[in-house]
Amino acid sequence: MTTISNRTRGGLKRNVALAVIAAVMVLNMYFAFMFAPTEATSGHVQRIMYIHVPMAWLAFLAFFIVFIGSIMYLWKRQEKWDDLASSAAELGIIFTTLVLITGPIWAKPTWGIWWTWDPRLTSTLVLWLIYVGYLMLRAYSANRSQGMKFSAVLGIVGFIDVPIVYFAVDWWRTQHQRLVLGGPSLESDLHPDMRLALMVSVIAFTLLFAFLLRQRTSLKRVERGVREMKEDAEIRSEG
Amino acid sequence: MRAVAEFVRPALLVAWKDVLLELRNREVVATALVFGVMLVVIFNFALNITPETVDVLAPGVLWVAFSFAGVLAMSRAFVAEKEEGTLDALLLCPVSRDSIYFGKMLAMFVFMVVIEAALLPIFAVFFDFSAFSATLIGAIVLATLGFAAVGTLFAAVAANVRSREMMLPILFFPLVSPVIIGAVETSGAAIGGGGSLTSPLRWLQLIAVFDAVFIVVCPWLFSVVVEE
Amino acid sequence: MIALITTPVNNIPYLFAAFAITWAVFFVYVFITSRRQDELEQEMEGLREEMRGRDGGGGEM
Repeated sequence: MTTISNRTRGGLKRNVALAVIAAVMVLNMYFAFMFAPTEATSGHVQRIMYIHVPMAWLAFLAFFIVFIGSIMYLWKRQEKWDDLASSAAELGIIFTTLVLITGPIWAKPTWGIWWTWDPRLTSTLVLWLIYVGYLMLRAYSANRSQGMKFSAVLGIVGFIDVPIVYFAVDWWRTQHQRLVLGGPSLESDLHPDMRLALMVSVIAFTLLFAFLLRQRTSLKRVERGVREMKEDAEIRSEG
Repeated sequence: MRAVAEFVRPALLVAWKDVLLELRNREVVATALVFGVMLVVIFNFALNITPETVDVLAPGVLWVAFSFAGVLAMSRAFVAEKEEGTLDALLLCPVSRDSIYFGKMLAMFVFMVVIEAALLPIFAVFFDFSAFSATLIGAIVLATLGFAAVGTLFAAVAANVRSREMMLPILFFPLVSPVIIGAVETSGAAIGGGGSLTSPLRWLQLIAVFDAVFIVVCPWLFSVVVEE
Repeated sequence: MIALITTPVNNIPYLFAAFAITWAVFFVYVFITSRRQDELEQEMEGLREEMRGRDGGGGEM
């Protein structure tokens, strides 16, 4: 009897969270489309910034969580840390992919070309490659625990590498000024109304991220529980 | 002093074992060398390198050749260990995991430097530049250190997973991209004579920072990787 | 709405594409994880049934 009410309670919490996030997203849409002023030169397409920039920051946050989760897993060897790290990696890759998709969609009408090799976009591409490697490593490992161990190693090395990659790409880019105008606009020279809308976007997507991370992590935990139950059942049926 | 002997001597022994093996078989260096030369030829056709474009393209071709040949050499590093089970035997010895790591890293560094030293004069002829600038040599040494530091760790990882020939490059290249960028920029300044906004020294510093960070981080993670 | 029509370059399609793709990706992800959750709950029910059946059916140990 307790199981059923637990499940309903969990479901209720989840639905409330979902409702809050939906409301914040609608608010975000208001700020992005109605409140924020239109950019003079590029027009409405510049509003892509309200997805593109928050997701870049959240991808970075996700990979930071992978870093912490990986360290904790290697230290404590508790699988809950691997649940966290691998869930964050999944979400990080989704966010990174969206950054890489919205970037060109923004760039083409604004600067005329799909890809601008601007530092943020290029570092994001390298980041994407590193963390896709993370998932591949887990998939190709000989067994589950090896996958967790190896991907934790990559999760640590990868994140430490990120600032170095960013600097290298940034210097490289300033050296080879292909475009007179750099890529997507710097946050520093934004109209204050735009900056406000951007902050709302960041809050909205952060809530979404936190929700998805929690869902994914608990899903992994349940998967693990089911697996262990099955193994138990097998052992008992043999004994 | 005893600590040094306990740490340094096993590392040197491990490195010497790999070098000795290579001296007998001559598999790694020879194949990587041929591969490097072949890459230059292919690039020449692919990019249509002319005397006008050589200064711009040569550094890039050089470092693609160095890094791909290096990965080829790297992928051999732990395969023999895994297949013959010699790594397990090595782990049974009362030797610190760090020693094993640094031994393997040293051997890998030596192999790659030998390959690069052999390829460099060949490239100097193909692309008509002077091979003996200090900046260029410095870039090669620092970059190869970085390759060896990260490569040893991930060669050990890749040796244990499926599709290892594919996994090593996939894991390795994105991680060492700063090194490649820095090496190409520095070589460009050394070969072509510059016009670079960022001085070669700054790039060398970047590579040095990379090296310093990963020479510290990778050995620790190596012991995690090889322990059961 | 007038403001939208008089934009010098009509790049609204790009704006739409970016937002549409973003929401599509998130909905697909939520859909996949929800479905996996339902599958798991079914599996757990099945396992519990099995345990109950086995425990009821005869002693072990």
